[in-house]
Amino acid sequence: MARPGFVLEVDERTPPLLVHQGEGFRLEKFPLGSRVIYPPDALPKIRDVRGAIRHALANPHGSEPLAELLRPGMKLTIAIDDISLPLPPMQAPDVRQLVLEEVIELAARQGVEDIKLFMANSLHRRMTGPEIKHAVGERVYRSFYPKDLKNHDAEDPDNLLFVGTTDKGEEVELNKRAAESDLLVYVNINLVALDGGHKSVGTGLASYRSVRHHHNVHTLLHSNSYMDPREGRSAMHDSLRRMGKVIADAGIRVFTIETTLNNNTFPEPFGFMNKREWEWSVKEQGTYLAAKKLNDLGPSQAKHQIWMRIRSPHGVTGVNAGATDPVHERTLAKLHEQQLVEVDGQSDIMVIGMPYLGPYNVNSIMNPILVHCLGPGYIFNMYRNKPVARPGGVMILFHPVPWEFHQVHHPSYVDFFEEVLAETTDPATIESKFEEAYATDPWYIHLYRTSYAYHGVHPFYMWYWGAHALDYLGDVIVVGGNRKACERMGYRAATTFRDALEMAGETVGRSPSIAYFHMPPFMIADVR
Amino acid sequence: MAAKKKLVDELRDVAEGWRWGRRPIMPRSAEGVTAPAERWSFPTDWARTPAGRVARDAILIGAMRPIVWNETAPQVFGLDHLDKLRAPVMFISNHSSHLDATLVLTTLPQKWRDKTATAAAKDYFFDVWWRSAFTALVYGGFPIERGGGERATAKAKELIRDGWNLIVFPEGTRSTDGWVQRFRHGTARLAIEMQMPVVPIAIVGAYAAMPKGRSWPKKGRPPIRVRYGEALVPLEGESHQDLSLRMQRAIAELFDEDRTSWWEARRRAANGETPRVTGPAGPSWLRVWEGSRPIRRHGHRPTWR
Repeated sequence: MARPGFVLEVDERTPPLLVHQGEGFRLEKFPLGSRVIYPPDALPKIRDVRGAIRHALANPHGSEPLAELLRPGMKLTIAIDDISLPLPPMQAPDVRQLVLEEVIELAARQGVEDIKLFMANSLHRRMTGPEIKHAVGERVYRSFYPKDLKNHDAEDPDNLLFVGTTDKGEEVELNKRAAESDLLVYVNINLVALDGGHKSVGTGLASYRSVRHHHNVHTLLHSNSYMDPREGRSAMHDSLRRMGKVIADAGIRVFTIETTLNNNTFPEPFGFMNKREWEWSVKEQGTYLAAKKLNDLGPSQAKHQIWMRIRSPHGVTGVNAGATDPVHERTLAKLHEQQLVEVDGQSDIMVIGMPYLGPYNVNSIMNPILVHCLGPGYIFNMYRNKPVARPGGVMILFHPVPWEFHQVHHPSYVDFFEEVLAETTDPATIESKFEEAYATDPWYIHLYRTSYAYHGVHPFYMWYWGAHALDYLGDVIVVGGNRKACERMGYRAATTFRDALEMAGETVGRSPSIAYFHMPPFMIADVR
Repeated sequence: MAAKKKLVDELRDVAEGWRWGRRPIMPRSAEGVTAPAERWSFPTDWARTPAGRVARDAILIGAMRPIVWNETAPQVFGLDHLDKLRAPVMFISNHSSHLDATLVLTTLPQKWRDKTATAAAKDYFFDVWWRSAFTALVYGGFPIERGGGERATAKAKELIRDGWNLIVFPEGTRSTDGWVQRFRHGTARLAIEMQMPVVPIAIVGAYAAMPKGRSWPKKGRPPIRVRYGEALVPLEGESHQDLSLRMQRAIAELFDEDRTSWWEARRRAANGETPRVTGPAGPSWLRVWEGSRPIRRHGHRPTWR
C-alpha cells in the first residue's frame, strides 16, 4: 500500500524544502510552525497494462462489452485526449497508445472499416505529427495519420454539428463526424479530477459556441472547486453534465475509456523531486546540488530544451471503460486514492512552487497568463470542501514570470496581455468587453486552424480559471517574478521569500499561518 | 529575479539542512510516516584485512589504551580462562558505557584481539560515514540490526565461519542506570546455531566512570574491573532461552565474585543465591543512584586509617 499524503509541521529538524520555480528550483527555509502538504506516494502501477485494458473493454461498467458494440459497416470514431495530458508527457509507450491498439485490434477483428480518430484538442493548439505519434504510437500513427487521424477543428463549420440545447439554454455543438458515428470511443487520461467524465466530449470535441457556456466567469466563479466535480460543487461540471444528457438524448453513443496514472512524476536523475526532503540520500543531495548549479548556469534555451524533454515515468493505476458516469465515478475514486490529502483547517498564506509545465505550454513557453492559469487557477483549486488559504488570505508563488510568449502557439495571448490586461484585470469586465472580439477574430481563427496556435479566446479562459482565486484572495505575491509582468496582472513581486512574507503581513497580519502546497506531484487538499 | 545563491552557499544549506557528518534526524511530525531507510550497509571488510588489523592494533594499543588507562584505573582478571579455548568464541558482556568495547579489546591478548570483531548497532554506529569508518577500523565493527531477523545475524555468521571471535552485548544497548538489562535472545540463538563457546565478561565500574551521555570518563581515574569468566558451551538440545539465562547467571556470578570473593561467589552460586544484577526494585532514580555508586578500589589497604 502506498504511503498516504500528510501534513508536515516545520520544526528545527526540518531541512530546507524543495521549491519549484518555473524552469528552475531551489531550497527554501520555511518559518517554524509552517505546514507543508505532501502528496501521497505513488500508487503501485499495473504490471500488465494491456491485460487490464483488455479486461476493462470486455467487462465495461453500464455498457455491453466493446466487442459487442462493434460490427461491420459501422462508423466508428475514436477521440483521444490531446497534448495537455499527462504532465509531463509520458515515457513511451503512452497509455493512449496501449488503449488505442487494443480498441483498434477489436475493431479490426469485428470487421469495422470506417474508423476516424481525432485528437480532442477543443480550442487548444493542433498537435504536430511527432506529438501525435508519441501519444498514439507508431503503429496507429502509420496506419491512420494524416487522412484518418486528425486534430479536431472547432472552427470548421462544415464539420461541426449542432446537437441541441440544454434546459438552461446551453448550446451543444460537436465534431460532426463524432456526432454522426454509430459509436464514439473516447480515450482519456485522467490526471486530475477536473478531467474526464462529460467534460471529455463536451469540451474536447466541441466548438467555441458550446465551450463558452461552461468556460466563463460565472461558472468558474461558482466552481468550488474545479477539482471537485460532484453535483452542486462545480458549476462548470454541472453544465457539462447537462450537455452530456443532451448528447445522450441525441442518440450519440459514447463508450468512455478512462485511465489513471500514479504520482511518479520525475524520471532519474530528477527522482529527488518525487521524494520528501528528509528522505533524500546523500546521492540525491549531491544530485540536487549538481542539477541546481547546472540549471542555474546553463543557457536558457538549452535549459528550456532539457526541461521540455522530460518524459515522466508515470505508471498506470487504473483502466475503466463503459458508460461515462459509472466509469468516471471509479476514476475519481482512484484519483482520490492517489491524490487526496487531509488538511486540518485553512491557513493565512498558501505557498506554491510553480513547476515548469502546465497543460498549455507543453513544448512551449509558460507565459505570464499561463502562470496565472496554473497558480491561482488550477493549483489554488486543488482542494475539496475549502481552499487551503482562508478568505482574504495571501498566495505566494515562486516563478520568474518572464515577459515572454511563444509567437506560434500563443499569438492571442500577446495581444491579451498588451491590450486587455493593460486596461483591466477584472474577469467579468474582460469577458463582457473583449471576449467576443478575440473569439471571432478571423486572424486568430486562421492561425488556430492552419498553424499551431491556441484559439483567440483561449487566454480569456486562462484568466477566468483564476477568477475564483482573484475573488477569494487578498493578495498574490510572486517570489522572483518579473516586476512589470506581475504588475500588469495585479500581482506583487518580491525578491525573496522573506520579503514576500513581510509583504503578506500587510494583508494577513504579522504572525500568519503558512501552508506550503508541495507539488508536483499533483494532489488535492481535502480541507476540513 | 530572485537572488541566486553561490555554490558555496548552496553547499552550506544542504550540509546544514541534512546534518552532514552528524546523525540525520527527521522532522518530528514526520516520524510516524517516514519509510525505513534503505538497507544499505557500510562496507567493513576492509577493516579486517591484514593492513586494517595493523592499523587497528596501532590505534588501540598506541592511542586508545593509554588514554583509557590514564583516565581510568582498569584491572583485568580471569584471562587464564581463554587458555583452554580455541577461536572462534563469542565474548559477551554487560553493557553500560562506551568504554566497554575498548576495555575488552585492549585487555584481550594479542592473538585473540587480532581475530576479534565487534557487533555494533547499525542505526547508531553506522549512521554517518565517519562514525562507520571509525567503528569498523578501531573495533573491527560490523553493523547489526537491532530489530533482529535473519538479516541481522547474516554478517555475524559469515565472520564466525571465517574464524572470527565476536564481541556481543546481548542487552542490545547501553544501560541507562548501570544495572544489567534483559538479554535479547539473538546472541544465544547465534551461539547455539554456530555451536560456539560463549565467554562471559563482567565489566564493573564502567557506568560509574563514563555513563551513557558522557563522552569522556569522569575525573579521578575511577576504578574499573574487567572479569573474564569460564566459557559456556551450548548444551545439546538447549533452548536459546535457557542459554540466555545461563549467560546472565554467569555474568551475575562474576559481579558477585567482584563484590566478595571467588569462593563466596561459588558457594552462593551452588546454592542458587547469587544476587541479581538487574538492580533494586523501586523508582528509577534509586536504580541510577545505586548503579552509579563508585565501586570499591581493590589493592593494599592503607596502613594508617
